[in-house]
Parts: sequence; C-alpha cells; structure tokens
Amino acid sequence: MDLSIVIPLYNEEESVDALHREVTAAAEGLGRSYELILVNDGSRDGTLGKLRAIADRDPRIKVVSFRKNYGQTAALQAGFDHSDGDVVITLDGDLQNDPADFGLLLEHIDEGYDVVSGWRRDRKDKMISRRIPSMAANWLIGRLTGTRIHDNGCTLKAYRAELVKKTRLYAEMHRFLAPMMSLSGSRYKEVVVHHRARQFGQSKYGMSRIWKVFLDLLTVKMLLGFTTRPAIWFGLLSLPFLGGTLLALAVSVYIHTTLLPGMSYPLIFPSITILFAFASAHLLLLGIFSELVVKVGDFKEIEAVLSAVNPGGTGS
Amino acid sequence: MRRSSPRTVPEVSVVVPVVERFSDLQRLYQDFSREIASLGKSVEFLFVVDGRLRGVVPALQQLQQDAVGEVVIVVMGGNFGESAALTLGMERARGEIVVTLAAYFQVEPRGIGAAFAALDDGSDMAVGRRFPRTDSWINRTQSRLFHSILRGMTGTGFHDISCGFKVMKRRVARELNLYGGMHRFIPMLALNRGFTVCEVPLPQHAEDRVFRHHGSGAYLGRLLDILTVFFLTKFTRMPLRFFGLLGAALFALGFGVDLIAAIQKIFFDQGISDRALLLLGTLLMVLGVQTLSLGLVGEIIIFIHARNVRDYQVAEVIRKPIPALPAIGKSGALQAS
Repeated sequence: MDLSIVIPLYNEEESVDALHREVTAAAEGLGRSYELILVNDGSRDGTLGKLRAIADRDPRIKVVSFRKNYGQTAALQAGFDHSDGDVVITLDGDLQNDPADFGLLLEHIDEGYDVVSGWRRDRKDKMISRRIPSMAANWLIGRLTGTRIHDNGCTLKAYRAELVKKTRLYAEMHRFLAPMMSLSGSRYKEVVVHHRARQFGQSKYGMSRIWKVFLDLLTVKMLLGFTTRPAIWFGLLSLPFLGGTLLALAVSVYIHTTLLPGMSYPLIFPSITILFAFASAHLLLLGIFSELVVKVGDFKEIEAVLSAVNPGGTGS
Repeated sequence: MRRSSPRTVPEVSVVVPVVERFSDLQRLYQDFSREIASLGKSVEFLFVVDGRLRGVVPALQQLQQDAVGEVVIVVMGGNFGESAALTLGMERARGEIVVTLAAYFQVEPRGIGAAFAALDDGSDMAVGRRFPRTDSWINRTQSRLFHSILRGMTGTGFHDISCGFKVMKRRVARELNLYGGMHRFIPMLALNRGFTVCEVPLPQHAEDRVFRHHGSGAYLGRLLDILTVFFLTKFTRMPLRFFGLLGAALFALGFGVDLIAAIQKIFFDQGISDRALLLLGTLLMVLGVQTLSLGLVGEIIIFIHARNVRDYQVAEVIRKPIPALPAIGKSGALQAS
C-alpha cells in the first residue's frame, strides 16, 4: 500500500459524506494505491452510522471506532497504528483542510522529506479566539524547541510511515509532533495549504487549552533536552537557587560581620540560605534520579531511526 | 481445579470475596443463586477466601457438594484484600456476565433482575445502589459526605459505590485492573476505560442495617484512594498538568508574598528581617519549583513507557471484507528490532 489517509472524526455527522466524496476524488487522482482510515473518536451523534454506511460501500475504508472520546492525539495515534501505507497523510474531519493538497504534500515526501506539514497561511477562523492564540503558541514553540514552524496546529500533514510509527503520541502531543520527530532526526518541510471556513458543526476547541499548551511545551522542551543528559537540565533549573543561596549567604555574612557584629540579629537570611541550598540540592538529586530513569528506558528504537535516516551522521 | 471441567459454561459467574465481614454463606448462596436461576440463567459461584479466614472453607466445601450449579473455592495465600480477591475471582469467571457480591447481605436478592435488565439494554456495567436506605443516620451521613467529595473529585454522580453488588459483562471484568483499595472505584475505572455504567436502585437488606464505625485511619485511607482515582483517571498521561499547575500556583503565591514584603520595605520602610513574611514567600516559591520538577520527572517516566502503553480503547474496527490480495512488499520499510 502506498498511502494511508488518516482522519479523526468527532461529532462530524454532517461532514462525513462530503468528506468521503472529496477525499476519494483527490486520492484517486494521485494514481497510488491507498486506504482511508476513519477514526471515530467517541462521537455522540450519528457519525458512526454514517461511517458504517460508507465503509460498506468502499472496501478501501477502515473505520476504527473508539469506546469514548479520547481526543485528537489518541485518534491520530490509532490511525497510525492501523495504517499499512508507506506514507501517512492526516487531515481534519471538518473539511477545513482541502484534500486537493495531497499531491503537493506527496511531492515533497518524494523529494526526500520525512514530514511535510501544512501551513494555513490564510486561516479562515475567528481572529481573537483562534488565530492570535495560535500565532503566539507557534512563535513560542519555535523559540523554545528550535523547530521553527508557522503552524504546528495544522492537522494536514504527510509522514513517512516508518518514522511516525516510531514516534509514540500520547496526552495532547500531536501539537508538538514536528519538534518531537526532530528527536529522531527527521527532515521537515512546511508548505502552504488551502484552508476553508467551517461548513458544518462547530469548532471543538476553546481558549481553555492555553495553559495546557504551555505546560506541554515545557514538557517537550525538557524531553528534547533529556535524551542526552537530564541531569544537566535539572542542573540548569537549580542554578537560580544556587545563586540565591550564595546571595543570601553573602547577606548573612555581611550582617554578621559588618552590620551588626557581635550582636543578636534575626535569622531570616541564614534561614533563606538554608532553604535555597535545600532547593538546589533537591533539583540536582532529581536530575540524577532522572538519569537513572532514562538509563532504564529503551532508546534503541530512536537510535535505530536516527541511523536509518542519517547513515552518515548528524548532518541532514 | 474445577475450572477446566468439561461441563457446560455457565452464563453468569458470581464472585464473592470473603475477606472481612461475612454472614451465612450457605444462605447467601441459596438466596442469590435461586434468584438468578429464576431469571433463566445458569450460574457458577466463585468464593475467594482470604488466607486468614480458612475456617469457612469446610462449610464452603459442604456447599460445593450440595450445590446444583458449579461452586469454585479459591483460597488466597495471605491477606491481600478485597481488590486482589475480586481480581482472582474475575480471572476464573467463565460466564459472559460477571457479578460481584458482598459476602454478607447488603441488598435484597429479589431486586437484582433490574441490574441484569440494564445489561440487556446496552449498559456494560450496572452497579447496585442501596435505596431506599434504612440504616442509621450516622451511616447515611458518612456515606453522603464521602460520595459528595467523590463527585467533586471525579465528576461522576454515583450514590453508593460501597455497595458490593455489581453486574458487568466479562469483557469489563477482564479489563479492570484492581489493586490496593481500587475495588471501591470500579464504576469510575470502568467509565474511564470507555464503558457505559448505570446505577440500579436495590432495596437494602435488613442485615445491612448495623451501625458502621470506621477508625480515622480508614477515612484517611479512603481519602487517599479518592486522590489516587482522581489522578489515575485524569492525569495519568500528563503528570505535568497536575504538578505543573500546582507548582505554578505555589510559586505565584510565594512570589506575591515576597513582592508585598518588598513593597512594604521599600515604600513604607517596614522591616522585613524581623518578620516571617519573606521566609514564607521564599518557602512557597521553593515548594512550587520542587512540585513542578517532580512533574517533569513524571513526564520523563511517561515518555519512556509511552511506547508500551496504548492511549485509547477501540470498540470495533469496521471494514468490508475483501478478497485476499497479493501481498505488496513494503519497499524500504524498517524492520522493528
């Protein structure tokens, strides 16, 4: 099988038929063998019934139905797990992505890129609640992870299957798939794709996810660093406290020797010295503990991919 | 071992954990097996006996000989608790429907048909609720308080999760991974696995009306169990969401306290060195960073094990059966080693 198209669906009853029609038309035009994997993420409307109906007509369709709503990351992961194609394309189930862009994505995969991601430059979404938070998040992700991408949130992406199958998605990590895959040394390309306004239903995301994105970003930042040495990372985290320890110590010594020599004085600065010293020791110990955890873990898979992608070394 | 017997597979398996309080098991068996038989279902009983309670085994063996249906007795090596007992029983259950039953009369046998009916209506699990309750107001107040905390923490509206009577499909029983005190939270765990769970009111049995007094240790244990369930069902895949938010809140609080101290010092010339305010703020900030860093370690652990864990439960894979195609070789595909 050349191509697997993975589409997560959550309460998209009205879109299913149009989606099937458009995706089929686009995929047939590519001249490659393909399968369509539709993941029903615990929809509570008639989505599953619609999916059954089209799966019955079209043998290229595989429907993976969840017991309950697990979120987009899990749905994409399930799609990857059930896919057989050499290349996997993912897109949203709400028809905001245009299946006509498949060809463009595949061109770049054929050129040798491992991940090709859509960039919705002309996004047809609400400015305040969707686009501005998204722009801020993408800027921050680019700054912190070093993988500078305009649009991490675009579901329309193409991946080389053997790579994406080595990257395990959990929680809500799909947003950071590109930085995470850079862990395994994959070559990344962003292309401008079409974006259309929502025709049916309504958006499933709100502003509440901002703090989540922020904490996830912290995780990704750390994960990207820890594959080599987590102790260093925690060591860096402990530096401010180490500095605080020294500062408080200096103040204590100053009070003791110069300001109030030989007199009784409040113990506040010595106390703060001890507190900061404890904190930095705690962080350093956590770093050593993490080294232990990482050593126990199995990174053979990541290393295998690394050597497969870059046989000559680290250069791309 | 009786489970490999060539006899017909029963439709219902009743698991009775005999680990703490138990009443006349002979009578319990008769009443409930008769009621299930009257629903037109064949039944086996599995008594899982705690190591300390071996004394009941002779009586159970007598029961085994007299019984019409199959009776299995499992004796545990030690005192492993109710969760372990239920797991042992569920592993051996052969029926399509698995029932858990307290080893004493909690509910009247005559009402249980409703729970089986709920399963026929599409639920994966039906949990009993002793209603109307007829025991002392102290018991009821305890129970109400516990359940309102539970409701706040897990967002599920069960009224009586301490009721041992539950009816479930075997599939559900196989997926519950019970340990420690988790047997109390079976409905939440099932919901979390994506099963549908409903509550069925059952009349409370007269023998269940004794006054229950728990030591403070028991309450503390239960609260910790609630915390565990809260954490397990909401944050297992994202420890930083929990520790990070908590840590950030503590840090912000500490920062605020220190800021107030600094403002008082700079603008109002109020000494900070003879008060504990600065120390408190610093302590909170340190605590915040420590909490957050624990969350980071949690994330490392999750990341490393994410490869082995599936994050979702598939109900079904729908695909039109196609005639076998010649296998297409995957060019350049990596072999997982």
